[in-house]
Amino acid sequence: MDEDSRLSLIAELIRDHISLDGIDRYLAETGVQSCDFVPVEPRDFAGEIFAVDGSNASICGWSTANVNLIRAGYAVYRERDWKRTVITFDDAFLADPQLCQKMFDPYLEHFFGLKGIDFKESDLDRLSSYYRELHEYVAINDALSEAHAGDIILYDGSFDVFEPLRGVLAAIFDRAREKGIALLAVAKSSSIFWGEVVSLPFVQHTSMAGSRLLPGAAWYLSLKDKKVDAGQGRWNGQTYIVRFCGQSEHAFRVDAPSYLADDIGSVLEKLAAYSCSAECMGYPHALFRAHRDIRITEQEGAAACERLMAQLSEIGMTHSEIRLLMQDFHDILEMRPGI
Amino acid sequence: MRAEEREKKVAIKQENIQPSGAESLLNRKVIEERDTTYRIVSKNVSEYHFIVPFDLSEEERVEVGQIFSIKDQGLTFLARAVNIEHSSNYDGHWDTTMKGTQFFDSDQIFNRVSAEPLGCINRKLEFKKSRTLPTKFAPVARAEREEFRFLSQVMGDIEVGYLRNGSRLVEEIQVALHSEVMDHHMGVFATTGMGKSNFMKVFAASCMRLAARGQSKFGLLIVDPHGEYLKGKGPVKGLTHLKRYREGLACYSTNRQNASDPGVEELAISESEIFPEDIALLYEWSPPQRDALEAVSRIFDPASWLEEIKSPEGMVRMMQEGFKDSTVNVLVRRIKNELERNPYIRKRSSLANILANLQKGKVVLVDIPRMSDRSELFLLSVISRYILDEYKKDEKEGGESRKNCLITIEEAQRVLGSGSNISRFESIAREGRKFGVGLCAITQQPKLIDKQLLSQFNTLVVMGLGDRNDRRQLEESAKQDLTSMDIEIQTLEKGEAVVSTLNIPFPVPARIHRYEDYLRRLDKEDKQESLIARGGFKPFLD
Repeated sequence: MDEDSRLSLIAELIRDHISLDGIDRYLAETGVQSCDFVPVEPRDFAGEIFAVDGSNASICGWSTANVNLIRAGYAVYRERDWKRTVITFDDAFLADPQLCQKMFDPYLEHFFGLKGIDFKESDLDRLSSYYRELHEYVAINDALSEAHAGDIILYDGSFDVFEPLRGVLAAIFDRAREKGIALLAVAKSSSIFWGEVVSLPFVQHTSMAGSRLLPGAAWYLSLKDKKVDAGQGRWNGQTYIVRFCGQSEHAFRVDAPSYLADDIGSVLEKLAAYSCSAECMGYPHALFRAHRDIRITEQEGAAACERLMAQLSEIGMTHSEIRLLMQDFHDILEMRPGI
Repeated sequence: MRAEEREKKVAIKQENIQPSGAESLLNRKVIEERDTTYRIVSKNVSEYHFIVPFDLSEEERVEVGQIFSIKDQGLTFLARAVNIEHSSNYDGHWDTTMKGTQFFDSDQIFNRVSAEPLGCINRKLEFKKSRTLPTKFAPVARAEREEFRFLSQVMGDIEVGYLRNGSRLVEEIQVALHSEVMDHHMGVFATTGMGKSNFMKVFAASCMRLAARGQSKFGLLIVDPHGEYLKGKGPVKGLTHLKRYREGLACYSTNRQNASDPGVEELAISESEIFPEDIALLYEWSPPQRDALEAVSRIFDPASWLEEIKSPEGMVRMMQEGFKDSTVNVLVRRIKNELERNPYIRKRSSLANILANLQKGKVVLVDIPRMSDRSELFLLSVISRYILDEYKKDEKEGGESRKNCLITIEEAQRVLGSGSNISRFESIAREGRKFGVGLCAITQQPKLIDKQLLSQFNTLVVMGLGDRNDRRQLEESAKQDLTSMDIEIQTLEKGEAVVSTLNIPFPVPARIHRYEDYLRRLDKEDKQESLIARGGFKPFLD
């Protein structure tokens, strides 16, 4: 079988599995009904929208420890106007299993009144990701202290977080509820699936169904009591699929704490009014800006790597030692000019 | 190192790497819109880049040529905008692939300004060329008059205009050329209608003021074939309108009516002051005719050759020297024609008087309206040669009291062009400086001027040149680097100029005074000076 024939077969398989010829099967197997799609009418909002994001770039990876650059913070908008971007953490992180607990605990204790993070063996591979998440929560906490009642805080991601940090999230939810602030998590990618025989992409198919049922409109769909696993019950809230802008084809997973259950429509109406920017149509614009302002670029990662190597050289390591420790063998395989 | 010591050391370092103290846990950095523009973002010692909002108002708009200041610790760097381009924080063709029209983040698009470093001012307010660059993100602001104060100290005595920052005038800072460098030659370059004549009148007026005050350091010769400098035309004023400083001006005219005015003398050139090479300028000559003309000085007495050659005996002598009668006939006929056509060629001469006035430091205006192109060159050649010869003599005799001299040539490409056979002006350009004689070449086509000669010009007044070859010629010959000012020179408006000269550390953008306005100002200034001189007081308000 030649390459084209194989690709052609794969294409057919994908079409058979993924493409949604009609929505009947989708409706039947997910428990979603046409009336579950609730139209959203964009509504102007005079308060502030905070968008929290984080970024993580690997500087070098050793067998014993990884060094990462981590940055977290948030962008603030009032209506269409960007007001400021606040960086709450911007530093290197040495992901050493022996040190990591002491790196997490001071933040947990100081900001959230929690003590002692408990990592399992399997968690140790993802230390830098957890550290980034922790600092995203610190950023949310900072945004909460800046925000006023009625404001909206968006978090880039999901609230179905890994277990050791669920206590942090609970503390954040409590503070947001007490201050009357709407806190939502918006995920760009999602691993929610449906289908009794094969796993099918739920968000994409919901988006297609929404286009047929409410063409050209913004809408949301609650996953409560639907036959999909969105982590319901693992955290105190509800997941929605939301199309923020009628002109866009994209829909997103949106997590909201349970205290927002009665107001979700109103909050989404406000967000819909500010998710129609020409820069990134269909996505809450504040999150777009937060992503761009907070991301660590490839160049920044490379520059940090160079600075680290210079430091190693200054304290007496030879070039060959540095190369042995830091060079990714892929650079040799790809014949890239490396260190 | 023992194993326990090593472990102990590692433990201490591990302790240090952990966050300690509540204050170190949150290092907030807040970025607001005001922090994002008007800051140095790159690039190197020879080129700075900074960004400005893309939607500035008409008054705030950044223009090529504007000078910006960058305050960085104890230094104030000055840089001139040489280009402005659209830029953004987005990659690729984002601006042509946007969906919809509701653009949110206008702060993410901006204009990137490339600026040429001019130098920096230190704490002692001294201006120096800069060997370093401002710190990254150092704030940038439009340079204001305080930052230009140092320029007042390096400006000369011949005022021509005000400093210009983009289109804005900095009226407190006058642009003035140095008298001392005028024998290093000056070039005035502009296409038609850009204000060459206005510049020359302003320049002459300032020279007249200096002469009238006894402060002049050189005499200025202007030969005016268009009849516009003496009395002006219609609402455009002439040099004689500057009555306050009239004594700094000496006028000669070939026009009887003009010469009847008090203070204007009728121009006369003596036949004895005309050399065969002056006649050579007037016509295209065949090789035998040229040979014959060159032989004239050998055959006849230089003081009376014009008389002698016209006589039958003279013609015979020429033929005895081997020249054909047809050749001699052409020569004589043309000489007769010229003598008839130029009635100012007489027995008496104004040249000694002209020279004396120049040596006193006056402005000497030779008004030759309606004179043909070749006749003008002929006259200019006679006068220039006379002046150069006299200055050479004076140099030998050690005449210290006389002032230097600057000879103005309109349409200078006629006499300074590559391949031009008029070596007189070339020799002034090449060696005039030794004897205190400078050239002021005025042309709209600098590309036609010999590059080597152009490189002898130490003062350039550039007033808008649309032709790329003209600009390139100047850029390649200028003493100061003008290459980065290409766009600015191309976009200069009428009356605007870039002045590059010795003693002023960088090419200065200027707005040349409008002559009529300058006249009014000089008149007013003088009244105030007279009042003060009489023991009065300067009024608070005009």
